[in-house]
Amino acid sequence: MTGGEASVTSWIGDVREILSDLVGSRDLLFQLARRDIAIRYKQAAMGFAWAVFMPVLVALAGILVRFATAFASGRTLGGGDVGEILVKSVPWSFFVGTIGFATGSLTGNMNLVTKVSFPREVLPLSSLLAQLLDFAVAAGIVGLLIPFFGAQLTWQLLWVPVLLALLLLFTAAATLFLSCANLFFRDVKYIVQTVLTFGIFFTPVFFTPAMLGRYGKYLMFNPIAPILEGLRLTIVQGHNLLEPLTTVSHGHVLTVWTPAYLGYVAAWTFGGLVAAMVLFHRSEFTFAEYV
Amino acid sequence: MAEPGIVLDGVYKKFRRGELHDSLRDLIPAMVRKVKPGRAAVVAEQQKRLTGEEFWAVEDLSFTVKAGDALGIIGGNGAGKSTTLKIINGILRPNRGTCTVTGRMGALIEIAAGFHQDLTGRENVFLQGAIMGMSKQLIMQRFDDIVEFAGMGTFIDTPVKRYSSGMNARLGFAIAAHLNPDVLIIDEVLSVGDFRFQQRAYDRVRDLIRSGIPVVVVSHQLDRIATLCTRALVLRNGRMVFDGPASDAVTAYLGDIGTDADITTVGDISLETFTADRTADIAPGDPVTLRITGAIARTTSTETSYSVGVRISSTQDGHVVSTVSTSRAGLPLAAGPFAIDMLVDMNVPPGVYRCDAFSWDTVADCEIGITSSLFLQVRQAAGVHGGVTFLRPRVRVSKPTSDPESRSRASAEAVGCPA
Repeated sequence: MTGGEASVTSWIGDVREILSDLVGSRDLLFQLARRDIAIRYKQAAMGFAWAVFMPVLVALAGILVRFATAFASGRTLGGGDVGEILVKSVPWSFFVGTIGFATGSLTGNMNLVTKVSFPREVLPLSSLLAQLLDFAVAAGIVGLLIPFFGAQLTWQLLWVPVLLALLLLFTAAATLFLSCANLFFRDVKYIVQTVLTFGIFFTPVFFTPAMLGRYGKYLMFNPIAPILEGLRLTIVQGHNLLEPLTTVSHGHVLTVWTPAYLGYVAAWTFGGLVAAMVLFHRSEFTFAEYV
Repeated sequence: MAEPGIVLDGVYKKFRRGELHDSLRDLIPAMVRKVKPGRAAVVAEQQKRLTGEEFWAVEDLSFTVKAGDALGIIGGNGAGKSTTLKIINGILRPNRGTCTVTGRMGALIEIAAGFHQDLTGRENVFLQGAIMGMSKQLIMQRFDDIVEFAGMGTFIDTPVKRYSSGMNARLGFAIAAHLNPDVLIIDEVLSVGDFRFQQRAYDRVRDLIRSGIPVVVVSHQLDRIATLCTRALVLRNGRMVFDGPASDAVTAYLGDIGTDADITTVGDISLETFTADRTADIAPGDPVTLRITGAIARTTSTETSYSVGVRISSTQDGHVVSTVSTSRAGLPLAAGPFAIDMLVDMNVPPGVYRCDAFSWDTVADCEIGITSSLFLQVRQAAGVHGGVTFLRPRVRVSKPTSDPESRSRASAEAVGCPA
């Protein structure tokens, strides 16, 4: 362990340092995640129901919205529609829940940040790890239900772990960046709360971009959108993500999917992760002074 | 691996007074400035100078702690002790200079900082242990020792929020004490728990120091610094004002703070010098001669009468241990120069004692002047464990027997203060 003036100036060095720090403090990472989980389930009315509480609410809201749109356009709501919403609600809840918890993870552990020496990355990442348990429970339930709502057992399901890995890494990048930003500027968590509350309208959770016609493609700039759409297409429609998919609506040919989306998300995820890691790591040594 | 140790070389650390008014609006220009080519050098240069409300919390500090060294750091509040430890610990990064630590660091600082009130003692042992850098396996190995050391017993599965503050601190110390560090830093943790636990904690720290690892200790308990450390530095306003043997450092520090009451001449009596034949390495019960010289000016008033005395108080708690004076000894002071010798036996437990010489107006019955203070260091001695006074113990252990001759042969006598 070395204090003193920064000797590493290249970002590769920063990333390597973070990764070796994280490997070195994996026990701490798990202990902190355990702490977060234990506190949530101790003296709690909800208990494990908490894990599915938010995804269920999101899914019910989604079904309601879809029912309303179907009713307005004179269609009936199919099982596939419900399946689509289930598939997208759980990852979205994970993303929102993790960001919500992790943004305050540095400021909420001020005592540790100012007084004890350890790699600070473990604080936001342990929040993510704790949320991952809830996600696993909810995803397991969706896995059991989804065959009844139009899911198909195809080789395309192999895309699911890839998409979830992208979601996980993108979320990790966001937690690192936002927890660090919230340490320096306390209003960040209010901005984040507001963005997360209304983010569901700018993300295709309840609907598909195609429902917006020609303008739907702009929605896919949201880096979460291709992940959720990818999950929907592979699980419910059995589509291979390496092939483009189009649909015709009101006389327009609309792009539902192109393999470029995968590249777009990967660029956000890995670019964001490296940028967040470097930013976090370089400002880590000033945390104790600014918190 | 290289020899464990701590090296500070010309370390500066600045802090800012007042509040930081940071907002996103300030951040973006600041980041642009940093990123702009050629600006990095300018920013780096700014780091090294003070601007506006900034001040040096630590200024030009250099020292080396090697294996076998136990370095004490003493100084008043705000002298920079804790900042120095935070720099060593890697929590703060110096603005100038370098701090290099070789080896795995153990820190007995804020030993219960990671505790979560809703978790049980057992869960907190694993959590706090991990925060301090212990692996899960190591904690499991030492778990029973930790609980035993802390004296937790059956309370280990009770949430920490139901613990007394003493139990909390004991458990925290016990975890920290079972770290296996190559380098150790200690900040004010020697006074946790009750008297018995303090003794146990002290013994543990002493054993760690004796094991030969490099240690840095910050404490306000000066007698502990004097006995635990091989060397000590005195900080004042972030600067090192003394570096040398621990007991000399304590004397230097106390001399530093003791000079504030330097009123020597009031009215007709002046106190000129105040000395002691010895100030350090005094064993409990040892005699010390305090000498005060001064003079009483010829006075026209026959009603005025002066006395000179010495008040001895503990630096630990400020209690006056004893007051000695010429009037109480029935010795009147005549006009003209005087030299007073006071022979006292330091029948006090180990610690640092402050002596103030004062002059007294016996008619008005009030103190009229005091000198600068002297500090007497009474060292640790075998058979004595704190308390308020030294009773010159003579401990005898013998086998119960009726034969008086064999009793005298079987008995051994130990006086409480051998070397």
